[in-house]
Amino acid sequence: MMYRSIYFLVAVCLILVVMILGLQVGSFESGLNTVLESIFQYDPDNTTHYAIIQLRLPRLLLALAVGASLAFCGYLMQAMVNNGLADPYLLGTASGASLGAVVVFFGFIEISIGGFYMPPILALVGAFIVTLVVIALGYRKRQLIPAQLLLAGIALSSLVTAIVGLLTFLSDSEGKLKSVIFWSMGSLERASWSLVPYPAVVIILALILFFFYQKQLNVLLLGEERAQALGVRVARTRWVILGTVSVVTGFAVATSGPIGFVGLIIPHVTRGLMGATGRFNLLFCAFIGGFFMLICDLLARVIYPPAGLPIGIITSFFGVPFFVYLLFKKNYNFRG
Amino acid sequence: LAIRIYTLKGEQQGLRFWVTGVILIFMPLIFTACGNQKADINKEVHIVKDDLGREIKLSSRPKRVFALAASMTEMLYAILDTSTIIARTPQDNFPAAVYSKPVVSNYPVDYEEILRLKPDLIFTIEGITPLDVASRLEELGVPVYYQKYNKVNDVFTGLEDIGRIMGQEEKANSVADSLKKQVELLRQKYANASQSPKVLAITWSDPIYVYGRNTILTDKLQILGAENAVQESFDQPYPALTREYILKLNPDVLLGGSKEKLEEKFFSLYPELRKIKAYQQNRMFEPTDDLMSRPSPRVVESLVELEGFLYKK
Repeated sequence: MMYRSIYFLVAVCLILVVMILGLQVGSFESGLNTVLESIFQYDPDNTTHYAIIQLRLPRLLLALAVGASLAFCGYLMQAMVNNGLADPYLLGTASGASLGAVVVFFGFIEISIGGFYMPPILALVGAFIVTLVVIALGYRKRQLIPAQLLLAGIALSSLVTAIVGLLTFLSDSEGKLKSVIFWSMGSLERASWSLVPYPAVVIILALILFFFYQKQLNVLLLGEERAQALGVRVARTRWVILGTVSVVTGFAVATSGPIGFVGLIIPHVTRGLMGATGRFNLLFCAFIGGFFMLICDLLARVIYPPAGLPIGIITSFFGVPFFVYLLFKKNYNFRG
Repeated sequence: LAIRIYTLKGEQQGLRFWVTGVILIFMPLIFTACGNQKADINKEVHIVKDDLGREIKLSSRPKRVFALAASMTEMLYAILDTSTIIARTPQDNFPAAVYSKPVVSNYPVDYEEILRLKPDLIFTIEGITPLDVASRLEELGVPVYYQKYNKVNDVFTGLEDIGRIMGQEEKANSVADSLKKQVELLRQKYANASQSPKVLAITWSDPIYVYGRNTILTDKLQILGAENAVQESFDQPYPALTREYILKLNPDVLLGGSKEKLEEKFFSLYPELRKIKAYQQNRMFEPTDDLMSRPSPRVVESLVELEGFLYKK
């Protein structure tokens, strides 16, 4: 139990350290003193202060919220389908969101309606619609069949990806293509104080909700029959998981694009460090997901300034080696 | 054919034997004849080097040409007879006469249609047509000539080169000289400009892509006594920039749309950028897209349009 508390403490400290480092990286030269000055003696007319508080800080908070959301949803999905290969995008969220954004980028819907920038809104709508269809296809005889849900997700994602591909192929402008490519690899560049609250509030609410469901989740790992024998209402738990994953992933993807790999590897890291059935696993998973995303964003900006590499490329580049290490680590087991 | 031959019977099979025999006997002669023909062509081959340093072999003066880039089509129309230009790409829209030509897809390249049209030479520009597409076309017997432009004067050199290849030197030189003179007048007019406004030209707003240092716009702005706000040289001609980078550049003039348009599609997305001078001083303009993006004989028209934006009273 003691080592788990230490891990928590280390995770929080690491998040703070990376955030302070992240606040120092950008086009304006700014050391630690400038960062502290801009936090405690903010002067909006000082452009460096303005950049740190209005651009860098919301970006870091968005990275934290999105990383936490994806890792959290990955953990839930893996527990629900009882398979370590599951990730939050299995429900077709990523492809649905991509289709929503592409529909706007390619001019089928005005890019700005009533002052609202439409790509994230349509991405959210697209994510929800595709997820609903996948759930409907995975539902039989009044209950969700995980294997059917997985197959429906894969099939529908392929179909939606093909539609996105077709629209991309028929694109008449290089700019539109760039938008789609940039969006599909994930980006935190649109972060602003008005955008951050959406994914942040959603993940905080979801974490509170699942504080009461952690026990059921752990029992689900034993399999449906055993879970039922132990008094877990499997069907209801699955519905709660599905609903939460759809909303949390939808907001994460809508604000920053479909960033891959976080939702797959961070749950494994969590179980590797905290054990498969820890009481605070979900919270720890969210912390580690946020930390991982912060590190990746920092690397993306340092490696390829000023625009930074698409975040999805970095998450895969640095996530895969660690994932392979975990696979070969002898004392790690998906079900504890 | 094989199926047909198998259905032959009787005397027909005998006939097949004799035909095959004759072909086999004469085959070396046929090959020799083809070889000689190739040697004859080789004697007349002209080799020209394009702007990428590639060698293009032309057996005779090209009579049927077209371009795989809209800007290059404008270059061809400035010099050649309209009958020499045999096709257009879907993006071509200038001059109006181009609409009478058959359309050839340049992305993806419609090889079959190109073969059907039998061009003697295709012109294109670097960055529009990948080199592997050019190699494929050359394998199919259609040579491809590339041009590239870093400066405004490169457009005029390009016109002269097209004239030389097509046997229209006189006309090409005359067009190029006339354009050069107009550019020189503008250069002299702003040679001693006291201030050089920093101009940022955006090509796309999400993500923010801009005209980088190594685009022809940098030279256009220098001719007009202004400068490209992007001073750093990136690998890409149109680099993606962050909001913070643009805040640091703090351009005096923003090109990419009228104030209303930018307000709706750019500043509503990036409200933090309302701090830049161009926004504060209301110096935001919408240049004609084709004039900005196409290095063509209309480059002078583009300079005059930019002059209007920069020195608007």
